[in-house]
Amino acid sequence: METEQFNIRMPKELVQDLDIISKLLKVNKSEWVKTKLAEEVHEEKNKLLMELSTLYAKGMIGKKKVEQLVGKDIADEMESIKVIAEKSVKHGLEYGKKLRKLHS
Amino acid sequence: MAKSSENYILDMSVNRKAISEHAQKSMIFDTSAFISLESINILELVLSVFSIITTNSAIKELEEFAKHGDKYGRIAKNVLKHKSKFTIESCEITESIEYVESTDNELYNLSLKKKLPLVTDETKLVHHARHKIDVYFSPVFLILLLKSGHLSKQKALELLEELRNIRNWRNNMIYLITKNQLENL
Repeated sequence: METEQFNIRMPKELVQDLDIISKLLKVNKSEWVKTKLAEEVHEEKNKLLMELSTLYAKGMIGKKKVEQLVGKDIADEMESIKVIAEKSVKHGLEYGKKLRKLHS
Repeated sequence: MAKSSENYILDMSVNRKAISEHAQKSMIFDTSAFISLESINILELVLSVFSIITTNSAIKELEEFAKHGDKYGRIAKNVLKHKSKFTIESCEITESIEYVESTDNELYNLSLKKKLPLVTDETKLVHHARHKIDVYFSPVFLILLLKSGHLSKQKALELLEELRNIRNWRNNMIYLITKNQLENL
């Protein structure tokens, strides 16, 4: 996996706590921080994207705004999901009507 | 049909044959579509109206799921009970989507070859395939069964909530857009 250097300064107490965790769990401090950070980032990213897509689905923000905030790839994918969800609804309505006619 | 479905699905046995003869339409299902519809006990009803085509690799995926005792394992086992009603085909992958797995690529190619709609809840697949094939999310059937008189509005909304919980959809767009439409019907 490609990596990139990312430096942060942390309070001394936090580093000492990390030392304790590292000794007790017998794990590498950096690796443990990396794993925890990855979990948190993944969860937060999904939560925020879900909130953004809710605003987009309700028409409260447009695709351009989504693109400005999170980039073209995510904006395009959100657009696809919205278009197909709406198309599914439309198809369900049309085909349901057709079935009802045949049923009656 | 599962007992819980019997109460809300109107008796369509009399006209089922006529409906099947005149309206039966073929659709291609991926694993996610089977799981979603069986999880809310409407797969059997859908199978009585539509002719469902899938691939050997999708069946293998369901068999893999079925080995586990968790909720998806149990649902997959129930899907496989209907296996004799599916048309199972293999399809050569002549056009590949970079971002999806080979199972999905086979279904995509089958849809291209047969010019039939694909039902899936895989958003990545939908995103990359939607300009080439006709594609729908599985809640299309909730709207369809409500509009055709096989489900009440209340029941369709309840099933959507159930599906949302089972699939962990939270407030995704499939859920929000379907819910909004069901509420306005």
